[in-house]
Amino acid sequence: MTTVMERPDSLNGPAIEQMPRRPWSKRPAKFWLATAIAVVVPIAVVGLIYSADVIPPAILLTVIYFPLQLVAAGLAALATKGKHGILDSCIIVLAIGATALSAIVLGSMLFTIIARGIEAFRPSFIFQNSVYISPSTPLDYGGIGHAIIGTFLIVGIAVIISVPLGIATAVYVTEVRGKAVPYVRFFVQAMSGVPSVVAGLFVLTVFILTGVLRQSALAGAIAYAILMLPTVARTAEEVLRLVPEELRTGALALGSTRARVVSKVVIPAAKTGIITAILLGVARVVGETAPLLLTALKNDQTVVNPISDPISALPTYIFDNVAQPYPDAVTRAWGAALALMILVAILFTVTRYLGGRKRSA
Amino acid sequence: MATDTPLRDLSGGKRAHRGDRVFNRTITGAAFTSLVVLAGITIFLGAQTIPVLQDQGLSFLTTTVWDTTGVPPEYGIAGMLYGSLLLAVIALVIAVPVSLFLAVFMVFLAPAKLSKILTNLIDLMAAIPSVIIGLWAFYVLVPPAEEWQQLLNQYLGWIPLFANDSGNFSGTPFMAGLVLAIMMIPIVTSITAEVLKRTPPELINAAESLGCSMWTMLRYVALPFGRGGIVGGIMLGLGRALGETIAVFFVLKIVFDINFFNILESGGGSVATLIVSKFGETNGEFEVQVLLAAGFFLFLGTLLVNALANLIVRRTERLRS
Amino acid sequence: MDSVKTATQEMMNNMSELEVEVDKSKAPVGTTEMEAKNVSVWFGKRKVLEDVNMAFPKNSVTALIGPSGCGKSTFIRTLNRLHELIPGAALAGEVLYEGSDIYAQNVDPVHIRLSIGMVFQKPNPFPSMTIRGNVLSGLKLSGMKRSDHDDIVEQTLTSAGLWKEVKDRLNAHAGDLSGGQQQRLVIARALAVNPHVLLMDEPCSALDPASTLKIEETIRQLSKEITIIIVTHNMQQAVRVSDYTAFFLAEENKPGYVVEQGATTEIFGNPQDQRTLDYVNGRFG
Repeated sequence: MTTVMERPDSLNGPAIEQMPRRPWSKRPAKFWLATAIAVVVPIAVVGLIYSADVIPPAILLTVIYFPLQLVAAGLAALATKGKHGILDSCIIVLAIGATALSAIVLGSMLFTIIARGIEAFRPSFIFQNSVYISPSTPLDYGGIGHAIIGTFLIVGIAVIISVPLGIATAVYVTEVRGKAVPYVRFFVQAMSGVPSVVAGLFVLTVFILTGVLRQSALAGAIAYAILMLPTVARTAEEVLRLVPEELRTGALALGSTRARVVSKVVIPAAKTGIITAILLGVARVVGETAPLLLTALKNDQTVVNPISDPISALPTYIFDNVAQPYPDAVTRAWGAALALMILVAILFTVTRYLGGRKRSA
Repeated sequence: MATDTPLRDLSGGKRAHRGDRVFNRTITGAAFTSLVVLAGITIFLGAQTIPVLQDQGLSFLTTTVWDTTGVPPEYGIAGMLYGSLLLAVIALVIAVPVSLFLAVFMVFLAPAKLSKILTNLIDLMAAIPSVIIGLWAFYVLVPPAEEWQQLLNQYLGWIPLFANDSGNFSGTPFMAGLVLAIMMIPIVTSITAEVLKRTPPELINAAESLGCSMWTMLRYVALPFGRGGIVGGIMLGLGRALGETIAVFFVLKIVFDINFFNILESGGGSVATLIVSKFGETNGEFEVQVLLAAGFFLFLGTLLVNALANLIVRRTERLRS
Repeated sequence: MDSVKTATQEMMNNMSELEVEVDKSKAPVGTTEMEAKNVSVWFGKRKVLEDVNMAFPKNSVTALIGPSGCGKSTFIRTLNRLHELIPGAALAGEVLYEGSDIYAQNVDPVHIRLSIGMVFQKPNPFPSMTIRGNVLSGLKLSGMKRSDHDDIVEQTLTSAGLWKEVKDRLNAHAGDLSGGQQQRLVIARALAVNPHVLLMDEPCSALDPASTLKIEETIRQLSKEITIIIVTHNMQQAVRVSDYTAFFLAEENKPGYVVEQGATTEIFGNPQDQRTLDYVNGRFG
């Protein structure tokens, strides 16, 4: 004899009184009590010792607080979940610890860059160059205007050099699909591992020591372009891959040449992604210092000619002012760091925004 | 990974449109830029290395003399080569555990929203230029870190690793390794998190249905599955640490003698930093060549590490598919 | 009705060809091992299962049948608390195991999942482990201490009908096995922690007919000792292996519910509901 279930009421009439529950997310009081004890006790103990001022804080944290916290969490887990919870509680403590540690480091960096950088910020600092400025000159005179122009000039030229090459590499991999695709990908990958100082040395040997170029914006830009190329090529490859195959075949079916399909269909379709690729490439190099130290040197004057003179950029300006014995020079370094960080943050935000839009589309 | 779509010969053979042939050739030519650059670095820096090795012999790689005014001048970068490795190892020892636990927190413990915020913060951290990290390290990290080193030496100084006879704790390999670790953490973390996220849900389901705990799931399922990717990520971080120049410049005192393992003793080596710090005071073409030669060996080293990293990552990807 | 009976008869005949010992006379009301009372399930705001009431007698095989998306898989995942791992999941009602609610506050889900094992649709052995390692993985994952590893490996692989095929290569990687072998390995893995109930979510849907028959044979053998609840799309399979059957259905954009349940012979031979009749005769779904 089978049971025919009556259709549940809600399918016909008013809903039956059944509320969704999540019993698993309701922890017993015992759990919360144990957790509270495991959090409060170690902090209280360490706070007491700290107020007694007998042990240096660094030792207190690493030798007393940390093991104490592990033991407390382990005991709490033993009390609530039994033996198999002990290791888990240690993992949770370590994971939260690692996260907190990294957050402190990042927070400290961002905080000091802003707090110390603001001290230098004023219109003259942004717009003036550093001619006649010595490390001891007060902050009201001179600034990073020349370095900002330098950064834009060098990065701009690097974009002009690397972007066509990077996109061509991506087009080769996704559109032309020649026999050498695996090799091209391998070399791009290998190139992305070239240390920035080596890129600088390469430009130095090939262009500067041979007398082809002077140490200048163009020389620095070539070094930057070498560092940008792999990022642009790899990101562009990813976005070109997302272009639907129907677009290509559709255009080809209408009798377009492949060159036209790529330039009029595929690349426009991936426009946002290509812009993201360029910006990621710029973000990769904008703070690079070592190559410029070898290929662009420094200059207190504003330089707009890309081949005539050495030139300063924001990273090299920071580098010059870091370890100076004059507080104002150091403040200038922080000011330039803030300016550079603002640039990086803008690039970061825009790429995130474009990337997010691409994904949701 | 090979191309996702099947390879098709789109060069079209002889029948291809003339414009297309030009297009294909141009693109193919441009696609080999990376090869040209890599070959260029090898050839041009290699060419500069030959006279240095001819003049200095193998002692360039095996000795620690740096005598620019001697007759004849002598140069040896053994201390720098070893120093680069030592810094990288210190950085790894600090960064890897932190990165692994951070990634575990992001993937398995944090609520989705927090995890997303953390991912963005980690990426932001990776985007901070090294010169800014150097600046921050010099003024913010170094003062307390010197105290930490003193304490470490005070209590653990009987271990040779933490010995310090000079009482000078500035510019130590430990400090430089710490800064490199801070630079490695975002790289290793984001790759590890990416790999852990890809643990197949059916394996996690299986583990859960067998009554796993967080620890046993990580130990027996997620980590073995992601091992290749994680090791590859660590190697990429290592390559980055070997090539890092500027951040190390501000926190390491370059000395030419090999500091084997006294990581709390002032002074150590780094090939990349040597190049930048000596470049301004070079005197004559040969000294520049010496730095170029040092750069050549740095290039070879990082190339090797990165190639290994990619090999490992690729092999695991193939195993998975 | 006649056609149904002949169809069922045919299936029964097929079954006996398998030479599987089937005890259809098993008393329908034995001790109840598990019971679902008024179970409703939500994902976020969407209700996917409505008011399921079902009892699973000890050492019986219950088949859950019905079209895709009617909540069968969701239902069995509520039976060993895997359901709660999906973000946004919620439920109402009670699931009783040996008389007590598995969702009660003091119950450890690990304990529940060990007592109520599960086999999934896609064979999912751990790829980094050997065959032997996979069988013993439950002990490692749950932290059980047992010393008789060799015995467990032999016993569970034998129960899963895989021992003869793999006894000489226990240290080979699980990935080297065929799909059907992998699925039997996964059954052995689930058995190694000594569950009282085994949940199977379409265990044969990814397998070829020969492997399917082997798994079915395994299910019949296992049901002498443990309670089995199996989700299947294959009606012949339900007839061949199960003692009881429940038929789930979901109307479009409505939560799924149980239309009819009872002894398998009745559901297939003499269903009371027109929709059940249509479904078991393959007229929809």
